[in-house]
Amino acid sequence: MNPLWSNIFRKTPAEESLGGFLSTVPVFAGLAGRDFGFLENLVHLRRYHPGETVFSAGDPGSGMYVVRSGRVQVFLHHADGREEELAQLGAGDFFGETTLTAPAVRSASVRVLEHTELIGLFRADLLEAAQKHPAITNRILFGLTRVVSERLQAAGQEISRLRLLLADQEARISTQPAES
Amino acid sequence: MKASEQFLRQRQGRVHYLLFYLSMTAAIASGLAIYFSASTILELLKDATSGLLLPLLLALISTFLLQPAVSFVEREEISRSTAILVVYLLLTIAGSLLTSLFIPKWQQTWSSIQVDLPRYTAMLGAALKELQANLLDHFPLMANYDLAGRSRRSVEQFVAQLLVQSPRQALRLGSLILMVPLFTFFFLRDGRKIMRTFIALAPNRYFEMAHDLTALVTRQLSHFIRGRILEAAIVGLVVTIGLSFTDIRYAIFLGVFAGVTNLVPYIGPLIGMVPGLLIALVDLGMGGQFWWIVIVYFLIAQVIVDNFLLIPILISRVSNLHPIWVIIAIVMGGKLYGVLGMIIGVPVASILKIAIIEIRQYRRAFALPDPVAESERHP
Repeated sequence: MNPLWSNIFRKTPAEESLGGFLSTVPVFAGLAGRDFGFLENLVHLRRYHPGETVFSAGDPGSGMYVVRSGRVQVFLHHADGREEELAQLGAGDFFGETTLTAPAVRSASVRVLEHTELIGLFRADLLEAAQKHPAITNRILFGLTRVVSERLQAAGQEISRLRLLLADQEARISTQPAES
Repeated sequence: MKASEQFLRQRQGRVHYLLFYLSMTAAIASGLAIYFSASTILELLKDATSGLLLPLLLALISTFLLQPAVSFVEREEISRSTAILVVYLLLTIAGSLLTSLFIPKWQQTWSSIQVDLPRYTAMLGAALKELQANLLDHFPLMANYDLAGRSRRSVEQFVAQLLVQSPRQALRLGSLILMVPLFTFFFLRDGRKIMRTFIALAPNRYFEMAHDLTALVTRQLSHFIRGRILEAAIVGLVVTIGLSFTDIRYAIFLGVFAGVTNLVPYIGPLIGMVPGLLIALVDLGMGGQFWWIVIVYFLIAQVIVDNFLLIPILISRVSNLHPIWVIIAIVMGGKLYGVLGMIIGVPVASILKIAIIEIRQYRRAFALPDPVAESERHP
């Protein structure tokens, strides 16, 4: 292309790759190529400084966030002032997806560890989009359901594994006094 | 050679001095000008934006009204701009059809109104004189109070003002007719983008709440505005139909007037029925038709249709304003924008109330921690 034209039509790197980045997020895996242009206008890109709070446990939750760059820390704030880290998330990870479809309070707090860009997708936008662009919203919701059910399945397996472990431990404890 | 070089350098130096001097002078002068005209600039800004509030407000209202129609047309394969243009086209066709239907009638009505208006005011004066005579029998103290003269004078003043102001009003109306559809078009097309830009200004910590609240308040607002306008239209239609059963003239105008004044709660309906009752009294007398008109205004339009049917269905109870707020809103709106302000004042006050209530409900629903208490807990 003529360098003059390519200069005029050049987009900033952020605009160039937002849709491309979103296509790598598992929730949006089912979307077709042209859907990402629509999705770009649906999500909100927010920049955070290190140490900033994204949300605290107990806040009204209204959507999910995807980490575009940087790191965030998910943690619980206990009544005695102790903090318990649950996870650290990096680029491509997402959190808060349980409040996307139904209003609920945040169950944990999230804090930003370094300069971070988060992409927010909120219930109000999704509800509005559902009326005019049902097909795309359907695909987003299908992706969300798939991810959530995968996590639920994993959690169920984890619970049964832990239950087996617990039963094993209990059995060992109950047999131990007889041995000694 | 050397001398000429020196001369050149000297000249260059002088040019620099000159430039420095000029720029300093300009800077000082403009600084002084800005300092002394700061208040003037604010004045200018106020002057420049004074005509904007009304068209913007009307455009917002029509945006809320047209939003469902545009959304109805808009599909995944029909872009929003196309949908808006389709709606505009349909509206233009409907409007031109209506005007072509009504223009002959309108001219006739206008000339007959010009003839009839003095007759009605004279009748009002006569009725007041009679009332005063009656009152005088009971309260002899009122002998030197010229009730009829006073009221006639004020009515004449009002009519004269109406006639004088109408060209200027027409000019304003012309600019409104041009600006409102334009603003409405952009609000309809880019409303989401505009809102996004505004919300994006919120700090990170409050962004989610601001986003959620805007969506809630917008939804409530569109319900409220749509409900109010629909209510007014239906009341106007009911009055028009009810009046057209009688021999009364200007049934359509009276219906439109009743519908528009119905936008103002408590006081509006009362004002809306004054011209109808007056015309009925003058033209038809105190016969059965007059009582039918009273029944149409009071019982059918207000009590049955408005209070029992429309308000419970269309308008949520939260937007009810205390009568004191209604009066304050009418007075403030009237002071700012005249008759139109009186009509718009109350809906604007209701809108503010809805916004406040939504924010309070949102906070309560999620039992947001009190910021003061929290800072005490985590020092």
